[in-house]
Amino acid sequence: MRKYLILITLIGVLASCSSKRTLYTWEDYDKTSYVYLKETNEETRQNLLNSYQDIIDKQKGTRGVTPPGIYADYGFLLIQANQTKQGKKMLQKEMDMYPESSVFINRILKMIEE
Amino acid sequence: MKQVIYILAVISVVILSSCGASKTPKSEAYKGMYDEKPLTVLIMPPINRSTNVEAKQYFHSTLSVPLSNAGYYVVPPFLSMEILKRESAYDSEMFLEGSLNKFNEVFGADIAIFIIIHKWNKSTIMSKVNVDIEYIIKSTETNEVIYSRRGEIVYDTSIGVSGGGLIGAAVSMAASAVNTAATKYVKVARACNNYTLEDLPVGKYSPNYGQDGEEMAGKKEFTKSLN
Repeated sequence: MRKYLILITLIGVLASCSSKRTLYTWEDYDKTSYVYLKETNEETRQNLLNSYQDIIDKQKGTRGVTPPGIYADYGFLLIQANQTKQGKKMLQKEMDMYPESSVFINRILKMIEE
Repeated sequence: MKQVIYILAVISVVILSSCGASKTPKSEAYKGMYDEKPLTVLIMPPINRSTNVEAKQYFHSTLSVPLSNAGYYVVPPFLSMEILKRESAYDSEMFLEGSLNKFNEVFGADIAIFIIIHKWNKSTIMSKVNVDIEYIIKSTETNEVIYSRRGEIVYDTSIGVSGGGLIGAAVSMAASAVNTAATKYVKVARACNNYTLEDLPVGKYSPNYGQDGEEMAGKKEFTKSLN
């Protein structure tokens, strides 16, 4: 009896601190973004691009939408890889989804035009 | 049996203290966050005062996730980093005391988050990392600090294997070896971020936005063991 009481108490305590589902899911972004930051080359860029695509395609967060910054950084990497048209499209998507980004993103788009 | 109860009691105390809090509600502890209702946050390049040169990157790459998950709009980290570099604004130390109005103008940021890595010490034998880290959020409008926490965190990087014994120890060692150094330290940074920012009032994209003011704030300065 005593054992059960202790067990129930413990479960209760644990449940009270248990974590909830997050707003967004990030696949292996932590790892690929770090490796890219540490060493930027063709392979690490491709791995990070794959992460972005996975975050967009396999989004399981409670909001059910792509997290902030993903479209924009995705676009930025594409532009660096000379896929300018595709990259600009991604920047536009960021502004559509997060209008608060337009101050910054419009500035970037202007820089690309010049 | 007596011993078991004793151990359980200790575990309970540890668990409870880990979700324990001060007696100040968040609405008071982080008043500026509630007054200004920031949406957009700019991640400043971490300030590294530790002897480990790589510590900066561990934190820079892991910060956008907890901030986004807390309901904020995070200025795209790679894009903003590039612009900060181009504008010779990559040394965040310059902005800790100065005006941040420019960041509002250029990035549309309401707040900027600074991280100061005071210490990052690896102990080779115990597979532990000792981190002393400070998080500071400043308003780009008033330049006031509206959130700050500093923690001494000990992170155990060895993978816990329940059961123990000789076989357990062998498995544990192999698992540690497979766990590459890079991933390992990214995990340390992530754990520090998550723990320290857990106290952050949630942002506009969270369903609990504006409803957490009554929650008790965590300690401003804390010591914590994580794994």
